[in-house]
Amino acid sequence: MRDRGIGGSTAFRGRRSSVIATAVGIVVALFFIVLVVSSPEDRESAASPLLGNPAPVVKSTTLDDMQFELSRRRGSWVMFNFFNSTCVPCRQEHPELVAFHEAQAAAGTPTELYSVINDDSDNAVRAFFEANRGDWSKIRDDDGSIAVAFGVAKVPETWIIDPNGYVRMRFIGAVTKNLLDEKLTELQAAFEGM
Amino acid sequence: MNLPRPRSQSPRLKSWPMWMLMGIVTVCLLAIGAGREGGPLTQQERIDGITKRLACPTCDGESVFVSQASAAVNIKNEVARQVAAGQRDDEQIVAFIEDRFGGRVLLVPRATGFDSLVWVLPVSVLVCSVAGLAATFRRWRREQGLVPSDDDRALVAQLLAEEPEDHDEVPG
Repeated sequence: MRDRGIGGSTAFRGRRSSVIATAVGIVVALFFIVLVVSSPEDRESAASPLLGNPAPVVKSTTLDDMQFELSRRRGSWVMFNFFNSTCVPCRQEHPELVAFHEAQAAAGTPTELYSVINDDSDNAVRAFFEANRGDWSKIRDDDGSIAVAFGVAKVPETWIIDPNGYVRMRFIGAVTKNLLDEKLTELQAAFEGM
Repeated sequence: MNLPRPRSQSPRLKSWPMWMLMGIVTVCLLAIGAGREGGPLTQQERIDGITKRLACPTCDGESVFVSQASAAVNIKNEVARQVAAGQRDDEQIVAFIEDRFGGRVLLVPRATGFDSLVWVLPVSVLVCSVAGLAATFRRWRREQGLVPSDDDRALVAQLLAEEPEDHDEVPG
């Protein structure tokens, strides 16, 4: 039997407690560091595996009962705005989209803007656009396949697709005309330099 | 002449082979049950199975299977389309949805990469706790026979000598 002695045992326990306390402290500090350096959720969610890749196949009809096929829009910059007429941020961003669209109409090579109707009725969308303007095409997404293909869970969301059919940018939440102008100019400059 | 009776085994010791046998049988039955093929699934069963593994991206803690939110309904429709098309198996369909919506759409985290910590950490904590308890109990048992050193004795003697005389007096 070892004769460590009562005093020795107390000292041993004290040392071990210090070691355990230090280890727990290190683990807590590591968790804290991970929390601090990890990206906020909204910045993370703005990323998408589609960015830099060909856009998903989109085939549907517009509110005017015209066929729409994204692959036939090659050669143009395309912007999809996922929208619902009852969603408050969508209603708030609408004047910005109208201003953007009007400015684009005056440009030499305008960006084609499309609203993708998310979980909304044709009549509600028609009534909204009649009341709030917006002379661009509205694409039906009755089964939600376009929203799933782009990974859209909440509206509004806006996506930019380049003339080669590659997804270039995703905006989660409401956008402004200035933001769209700025990002589109950057993308177009990069595209021309390719 | 009274012969010394052989020491009987304790009942606990007698029954341990039976417990072990029961344990082995249980593990075997569980393994057979888990690995048994239940026959081909219908399309609806596949859709239900997949949507139960997916979290509604706009709700708190609800699966796509139970949720009626627009995003969940859209995902349910997509799963149904892909199952009907028959071009992807269940894992590939889940991977497609995860690819579009991110890892937050998985109700059961994957057992690879950083997510594997969810599985590894509890097991590690359990193993460490059991090992720690075992070590502590062993140390306590060992310490029961601890002999005070000369220094300890001297310290106790010194404290006793310093103790006031009336310490042992019974009050009243």
